[in-house]
Amino acid sequence: MKLPPLKIAGLTAPIPLIQGGMSIRVSTAALAAPVASCGGIGVIGGSAIPDEELKADIRKAKANTNGIVAVNIMYAMKYFYNAVMAAIDAKADFIITGAGFSRDIFKIGREHNIPIVMIVSSPGIAKLAERLGAAAIIVEASEAGGHLGTDKPLREIFPAIREVVKNVPLIAAGGITNGYEMAEMMDKYGADGIQIASRFVLSEECDVDDKFKQAFLDAKKEDIVLTSSPVGMPGRAINTPFVQAKAAGEDLSTKKCEYKCLKKCDHHYCISERLRAARDGDIEHGLVFAGANTYKMKEILPVAEIFRRFVTEAESVYKEGRGFAPPAAV
Amino acid sequence: MAIDQQMVDIIVEQLSVEKDKVVPNASFVDDLGADSLDLVELIMAMEEEFDVEIPDEEAEKISTVQNAIDYVNNLKK
Repeated sequence: MKLPPLKIAGLTAPIPLIQGGMSIRVSTAALAAPVASCGGIGVIGGSAIPDEELKADIRKAKANTNGIVAVNIMYAMKYFYNAVMAAIDAKADFIITGAGFSRDIFKIGREHNIPIVMIVSSPGIAKLAERLGAAAIIVEASEAGGHLGTDKPLREIFPAIREVVKNVPLIAAGGITNGYEMAEMMDKYGADGIQIASRFVLSEECDVDDKFKQAFLDAKKEDIVLTSSPVGMPGRAINTPFVQAKAAGEDLSTKKCEYKCLKKCDHHYCISERLRAARDGDIEHGLVFAGANTYKMKEILPVAEIFRRFVTEAESVYKEGRGFAPPAAV
Repeated sequence: MAIDQQMVDIIVEQLSVEKDKVVPNASFVDDLGADSLDLVELIMAMEEEFDVEIPDEEAEKISTVQNAIDYVNNLKK
């Protein structure tokens, strides 16, 4: 059956699929614009880049699509409010935030008439976010890449959050790799849409260095690990030589804080430096955030083809009452 | 009621802790077992009770019982 659109505040995405925001500079206008044009919601990773760059990137994305372009900004960032104001100034359609809880952001959203979408990993925070005026809520589980707010898998945490979120769309995220799982989350679990990110790293349009994509293609199941982050939450990443050295106890601490990116940083390594290195192709010294099921994806595809496959697969099982298993290989 | 008494009552209620644990230098997280959600709820309860507005930036600095009392006292001066 045909998938329903995803309505967030006054905005309607024809395909209920959000492309997860990926910082630093992993999801930029180059990826967000084609996602939005395909009917999903394109999201620019707005953490740890200069405000002027963020504004220019939002404007570029908006100029290249009539679809919905949002910005994801981590609350843990030192210049969170500046980034939020930059996103509003450049006319992002909405703001997605997580990694800490801001109450002021909802007030800013009301003042500037811009919807605020909150990423949560527990029923308590979800309930509070809805009460404070979140326009939608994204449930991010432990299978997700990057910073994690829970060690529990999606199918375990989603139902309890579905129970308490009554009036705004609820989005499932973490470990979803195909349309069958999309249909399962929407039909069986009652999600209003899904968010996927790692799948889009392996798109032609994502403008990270080819070596970054190659690291995704090469990653086996056991190569995707949990690692520490100066943000103070665990992060899911590929076990690059840098991550291995850190796990082995090597001192990689920041000698000089060049980026001053976080509100609170323990400087046990510089996350800005490591994410930038990876994005630019230095996999050995870099931090490559990746979802737990990245190893299942073996092809770089155009964004339009990713959409086509997700929608075709999802609609073949969504509300058809036949379960959500992919058809047996012939 | 004095602000510090009111504050102790709010903390006891919000964090479900024994009154005798709520001493001035008690840390919400380390001594009273608050998680991030409890902290947000506590700040919101303070705002309601004392009819004040506490922005994120200020809320982040309130980590002990005394911090909370001082913050509200300063606003009420």
